Amino acid sequence: MPPRRHQPARQAQAASQSLDAEVLAKRAKRRLDELERSNYAEPSVSYLGLEDDEDTGKSGKGRARQTISDKRILTGAGTKRRKSTMNIRTAILYRKNLTTLIDESGIADYSTNIPTYITAVTGPSQAPPRLLCSVCGYWGRYKCKKCTMPYCDLNCQGVHDETRCERRVL
Amino acid sequence: MGRTPVVVLDNGASTIKLGVSNAGKDVRVIPNAIIRSKGDKTTYFGEEFEACRDFSSLNYRLPFEKGYLVDWDAQKAIWDGIFSEQVLRVDPTAASLLITEPYFNLPGIQEVYDQFVFEEYEFLSYYRCSPAALIPHGQLFSIAGIPSPECMLIVDSGFSFTHVIPIMDGAIVWPAVKRIDVGGKLLTNQLKELVSFRQWNMMDETHIMNDVKESCCYVTSQFAADIEATRANPKSNTILQEYILPDFSLNKRGRIRKPDEMTLDSDQILYMNNERFSVPEILFRPDDIGLPQSGIGETIAQSIALLPDDIQGMFWANIGLIGGNTKFHGFSARLLSELRPLAPVDCEIVIYESKDAILEAYRSAVHLAKQAAFSSLVVTREEYQESGSNACRRKFKDWRSADKEKDGPVDSGKGKASMRRVDEKEPSPPPSAKPVRTRTRTVSAVKRR
Ligand SMILES: [Zn+2]
Ligand SMILES: [Zn+2]
Repeated sequence: MPPRRHQPARQAQAASQSLDAEVLAKRAKRRLDELERSNYAEPSVSYLGLEDDEDTGKSGKGRARQTISDKRILTGAGTKRRKSTMNIRTAILYRKNLTTLIDESGIADYSTNIPTYITAVTGPSQAPPRLLCSVCGYWGRYKCKKCTMPYCDLNCQGVHDETRCERRVL
Repeated sequence: MGRTPVVVLDNGASTIKLGVSNAGKDVRVIPNAIIRSKGDKTTYFGEEFEACRDFSSLNYRLPFEKGYLVDWDAQKAIWDGIFSEQVLRVDPTAASLLITEPYFNLPGIQEVYDQFVFEEYEFLSYYRCSPAALIPHGQLFSIAGIPSPECMLIVDSGFSFTHVIPIMDGAIVWPAVKRIDVGGKLLTNQLKELVSFRQWNMMDETHIMNDVKESCCYVTSQFAADIEATRANPKSNTILQEYILPDFSLNKRGRIRKPDEMTLDSDQILYMNNERFSVPEILFRPDDIGLPQSGIGETIAQSIALLPDDIQGMFWANIGLIGGNTKFHGFSARLLSELRPLAPVDCEIVIYESKDAILEAYRSAVHLAKQAAFSSLVVTREEYQESGSNACRRKFKDWRSADKEKDGPVDSGKGKASMRRVDEKEPSPPPSAKPVRTRTRTVSAVKRR
């Protein structure tokens, strides 16, 4: 993702194209985050995930939430002999999301001859993007004037306006 | 002689592939997830999920986020089960471990792998590498009597993302490894969304929609023609399929309706039309969903362009497919048709398909684990006790080694390192030459004008 361009918003024609690009990039990013979700009904990334009935309340605020690995009870011989080490307790109790881990890893500052997660991403396609109807998936020959999403005919335009149109505001 | 058993663990973001090197062909495929079923109000950890019968509205907690292990609490809960005596039937403290990690795994995450292996489960020794690094030891490319080729290019398209990985003399060429942020999870979610918008609300039905995806979706080699075909009236539409949604209260599984199969009024039908191919299409055209990335074909060309000129032809001629998405019907035919115009005209393109793309890395790992040379790859518990994760950093080749080889060792390792044997130069064991196994080989005719 290229760094966001900061421009005065109202520079008429010239700015409108890059603004469009920015809006589209933002929308694509949000779309991707949605498509990464493991469950529909979660804010963005599920943290506690499964605390739906018996143990709500227990998690509370602060760091004292109960871990799921401690809750799992295994039966049979040879299960858990002793306490976990400090390293393991730390890993279990203090979860960080991937963005934080990438920031902390410092790979952004590695010299350019070391390939990393950041540099490995493939380049943009040489082919021009295809316009597909955001409603039915057929070729989208028209673009919504408000949000630039494509649609294919009047029928789909109607559905788009009612349900899918993202307008300009983000 | 009684060699130490090697536990082989392909630790995927969607499923864990688990077995023991000396225990025959048994492999277990276990969800790498903690799954809560609303229907029976039960929480299933990893291997317990096979007991689940009600797959409606499952809630998933996955240790992986965007392909990387971030939720160690969840991973520990799952690993505690699979490393227990009931599942593994091997005592970790008397075994070696071969575990996979994601490409470009972050150093901080790698250290936690080391900690779990030695401090929590106390394996005798272990080896950690990415899935593609194992392929030269397997049989994906093997032709009777001929060892694996010196140059190969692996396409690994899994749950979280898709990678293109060139391998030379058994080692990954990291500077030319490329990633597309499209994987099976994204495809299932996209299908879920399309269907929910157009027909039934399936947003909470990941498990069902994943089955719909695996049953109905295919990769088209003629997108424009197929998209027209889906506009035809239902009688002459050859693409339209009807998927009968499952009814878990009646213990009925979901399935594709057969041509003259009668349906009940109570059956819920999901019509699969352009969704069948427009979803896997994202692997080849990520910009269809606004993702500004190249698809698999172009990415392969980008990767090969970064390799030495004189041997690029060998990579075009040895492309191997692994990972669940490569199982979509039509995948290799489409890939071939994309690659043909991107490759030099006189260049042969050969694509090797795995018989079981999900297990290919696991099976290759088992081959590696059985070789005597495996013991020279591992880091031992003593070595870890002596120098911690430094021991692993020095020994396991990964993306950071690419630089070390050019400029000499970069890691400090402090005083201890200089006293230790230099492991960097140790050759990896030779690829195995084993009898051929059935596999498909897709070859392009060499066309000249
Ligand atoms: Zn339409
Ligand atoms: Zn609109």
